[in-house]
Order: sequence, then structure tokens, then C-alpha cells
Amino acid sequence: MRALVLAAALAAGAAPALAADPWGLDNEKEVLITGTVVDLLCTVAGDCPPDCGAGSRQLGLLDEAGRLYLAAKGNVFFAGAVVDLLPHCGATVTADGLLIENPAMPLLFVQYLKGPGDAEAASADAFLTRWTAENGEADEWWRADPMVKSAIAENGVFGIPGLEPPAE
Amino acid sequence: MLKPIAVLIALAPALAAPAEAAGERVRVTGEIVDTWCSVSGIMFAYGTAHHQCAVWCAVGGIPVSIRDDAGEHYLVLRIGDDTVNVANPKVVTIQSHQVTVDGELIERDGVKYLLVDQVADDSGVVNLTHEEYGIVPFGE
Repeated sequence: MRALVLAAALAAGAAPALAADPWGLDNEKEVLITGTVVDLLCTVAGDCPPDCGAGSRQLGLLDEAGRLYLAAKGNVFFAGAVVDLLPHCGATVTADGLLIENPAMPLLFVQYLKGPGDAEAASADAFLTRWTAENGEADEWWRADPMVKSAIAENGVFGIPGLEPPAE
Repeated sequence: MLKPIAVLIALAPALAAPAEAAGERVRVTGEIVDTWCSVSGIMFAYGTAHHQCAVWCAVGGIPVSIRDDAGEHYLVLRIGDDTVNVANPKVVTIQSHQVTVDGELIERDGVKYLLVDQVADDSGVVNLTHEEYGIVPFGE
């Protein structure tokens, strides 16, 4: 009996913890997905540069069953998961987050990521770390970003040059 | 709208598809959208009202899709021989545009991946949603 209890405790301890934060979105499902980090264009079309495109390409997870997950979102407002996943190109990671099972397109929101050799999962917020290193501190990276400011300056907040919000 | 058309056509030399790709030839007409906001339904995600947010998300590296009138989403992985599909400045500037593209469709695990060969038409932003929705999100 003691051995049985010990085995159960060890099994529980070894099981990966699901830490996903629910957002109350339609079709969301808390998931823990283990898979290989892949370049999507490589995986679906055979166009395969080294190092998964060095950050220029969308990435996904390919699990052992051969299912390909589109990793569309990371744990930073308005930012994807490429910066988090890229260091693990070709390696097996575990993503903890939300799978949005919209029939139009399932996509993965990576909230926490555990790479090979990591003792525990960490928040998938590498985008903000990199952005801050390149641009400095900002309350809202999305308004302070130079590319954003250039695009909005060129076309306005509505995407139509000359069309402005009404004055307050 | 000539400027974005010229830019995209310049990016799209013929016969750019890699030999390994074996998808279906398609013509897709729809709005260029921020995939996360549109698919997750976290907010209203279309037209002028959401243009600014679509720019934020494209710059943030969230994938870009074309959403057709039937609500189908086509995730754009390539335009011509331009394989940069993360924060591509040329794609950032055409968020919310209504476009017609020709390309190759490869479906896998529920996702429609699109390899665009050419942009046949770019009508600019034509989905005028701001009068109803304002600026989404945050109102500014």
C-alpha cells in the first residue's frame, strides 16, 4: 500500500502543471501542448531556411501525433509568440496556454513556455523584453513603437489618409 | 491606392512558389485582418474601427490573414518571394485593406495557409466601421 501511495505521489509530482489563465473567450480551451518548434512556411510548403527564419517567420508547434499548431499569440498585449519560440527552433518545448478552437481557424495563445533544460515554465513575454531593450521603457509599447507610429502617421488611425476621429 | 498595389506587385514575381508546395490554386477576396483579434473574437476586429489595432498586432508579430465574406480566414505565409511574415513593414501598411489575391492554398489541421503569388487588386480600406464602433479598442 505504501508503495502504491508513493508511486501515486511521484506520478502527481511528475505531471506537468497547467497554469493557463482563462480569458473567457469563445471557443477557448486551456491546454498544455508539447511539440517541436517549427517554421510554418517550412513545414507546410518545404521552404526551409536555417534557424526557422531568424525571427522573420511565423512559428508553430508540431506534436508527436503530427498535429501542427499555429502559435499566433504570446503573453504580451498585441504581440505574437515568435520571439519566445525562436530560441527553441527544432527543439521540443511545452506551451501552456489557450487553444482557440474556432472552426474558422484554430490557434494557440502561448501564455507560458518551458524549453528544454528549463526548470519550469516562464511567461511568454520575450517580445516585450526585446522591444524594451531596443526601444526603452514605455507604458504601452504598441503606441510607442516606431513602425506603428510611422504607419499611423502615414494612413491615420482608420487606415485612410485624411480621415480623422472627431475632435473631442 | 496605387502605391500599395505597386509595392505588392513588385514583391510578387511569377513562379515564386517552391517546388515542394502542393496546394490548391485559389483566388481569394477579402479584408486583411489581425488573425488574433478576428479569430478569438476578443473584440470587433474589422475595417476602419480596428485598423489601428490591426497595425499594432501586425507590428507585434501576430500573423495576418485574409478574411473573406464567408468568414473564412486564410493565413498569409508569403507574398511573392517575400517570405517575411512577421512584422513585415509592407504588410503593416495594408492592414484592413480589401484585396484580391491569387495563390496556393495548403490546409493543415484546420488552418488555411495561403502562399500569395500576386495581389490582383488592392482597394484600400473600404470597410467603414468607425462610425458605428469608434476606435477599437480603447476608443483612441
